[in-house]
Amino acid sequence: MKHRKILVFLLLSLFIVPVAHGANDSWELDKAHSNIFFSVDHIFSKVNGHFNDFSTEVVFDPKDLSGSSFAFTIKVASIDTNMSKRDKHLKSNDFFDAGKYPAMVFTSTAVTAGDDGLYNVEGTLTVKGQSYNVTLPLVYAGMKDHPAIRGKEVAGFNGKIVIDRLAFAIGSGKFYKMGVVGKDVEVFVSLEVVRSKQ
Amino acid sequence: MDRAKRYIFILILLLTVASAAALPYVYESQTLWYKIGLDKTLLRGGQLAGMFALTLLFTQIVLAVGGPFLEKGFGLKNIMSWHRTNGVLVVLFALIHVFFILVPEGLDNLPIGIKFWPEMVGMLLLWILVVMVTSSRYRGLLRLDYRRWRTIHKPLGYLATILVVVHVLFVSDSFVHVVPRRLFIVAVVALLSRVVWVKVYAQIEKKGSTSVN
Repeated sequence: MKHRKILVFLLLSLFIVPVAHGANDSWELDKAHSNIFFSVDHIFSKVNGHFNDFSTEVVFDPKDLSGSSFAFTIKVASIDTNMSKRDKHLKSNDFFDAGKYPAMVFTSTAVTAGDDGLYNVEGTLTVKGQSYNVTLPLVYAGMKDHPAIRGKEVAGFNGKIVIDRLAFAIGSGKFYKMGVVGKDVEVFVSLEVVRSKQ
Repeated sequence: MDRAKRYIFILILLLTVASAAALPYVYESQTLWYKIGLDKTLLRGGQLAGMFALTLLFTQIVLAVGGPFLEKGFGLKNIMSWHRTNGVLVVLFALIHVFFILVPEGLDNLPIGIKFWPEMVGMLLLWILVVMVTSSRYRGLLRLDYRRWRTIHKPLGYLATILVVVHVLFVSDSFVHVVPRRLFIVAVVALLSRVVWVKVYAQIEKKGSTSVN
C-alpha cells in the first residue's frame, strides 16, 4: 500500500516538474517602473495619459517562444490624464463606459521573433465586451542581474502600437466628426519585470 | 415694518441671484465645451441649480443671523418662516445640481477618490444640508428638544458655509476666471462681515441694556 502511494506520487511529480520549470520563466511586474501610456490628438494638440492600475502575467524565454506569453489586465477606472474632470468624461459612455466595462484585457496567443530584438505578440484584446485580434510589437530590451536587488534578474520590454479607437468602440465618433478628439491613439507599453535569478 | 429696508434687501437678493444665474453662460466651464445636445443642457441646468443653491445658502445665513435691519424690514416671524422654506429650497436645488451634473456622464461613474476631493466635499455638504433640513422639519418626530437641535443646527450651518466656499472655489473652472473668483470672495467677505456685525452689534446692545438697568 505504501509502495503504491510512493508510485502515485512519483507519477504525479512527472507532471509537476515541467509546470514548475515553466513557472521559472514567469516574471513579476515591477509596477513602479512599468507604464501603459497613450497619446491622442485633440484639435491641434496632443493629450497624454496613462493607466495607473494594470497587472501583467509575463512568461518569457527568448529560447522558448512557444512557451512564452503575455497577458495584461488594465483597470479602465485608473485612467489618468492629469485632469480629473477629463478622466471622468473618458470613463463615461462617451468613451470607455467604465461602469459597465471596468477592464480591458489582452491575452497573447503567440509570440514570434522579428528583427533587432523585436517580438510580435499576437493576441486578443477585449475592450467593452468585444474581442479583437491585435499584434503588439514589443522590443526586448534585454535581461541582466538586477543592479539594485541581489539574487534577482530584470528584463525589459518596450512597445508602441497605434489603434483606431473607433474600431474598438471607444467613442461613437461624434467627437471625431466634430474634429475634437482624434481616432488614432498611440499606446506605449513599457515594462520592467523581475524574477529570482536562475 | 420698514418698507424701504425690505425693498433694499430684496433688490440685493435679486441682483445676487441674477449674477449667479448669468455665471454658467458668461463664464462657461470647460466641461461644458465638450458636452453636446441634452448632455450640455443637463450640465448647464445642473450648474444653474448649483448657483441658485449657493445664493440661497448664503441668504440662509443672512436670515439666520437676522439683525435689526432685517427684523425691521420683514418682522421676526416672517424671517423665520422664510428661513424654513429657504432651507428646503437649498436642498432641492442642491439635489437638482448633483443629479443634473452626474447624469450626463452616468450615475455609475461617480466622482469618488482623492483626485475628486472637491466633488466629495460637495457630497459631504449635501448630506449635511439634508440632515439640517430633515432634523428641522421633523424635529418633533425625531424627538429632538429645541436646545439640542439648536446646538447641532448652528455649527452645521457654519460648517456648510465653509464647505460650500471650498467646493465652489475648487470644483468649478468658471471660478478660475478673475471676475467670478473676486466677486465670490467679495460675497464671502460681505457675508462674514454681516455675521460679525450683527453679532457684535447684539453684544453692544446687550451690554448697553445691562448697564442701563
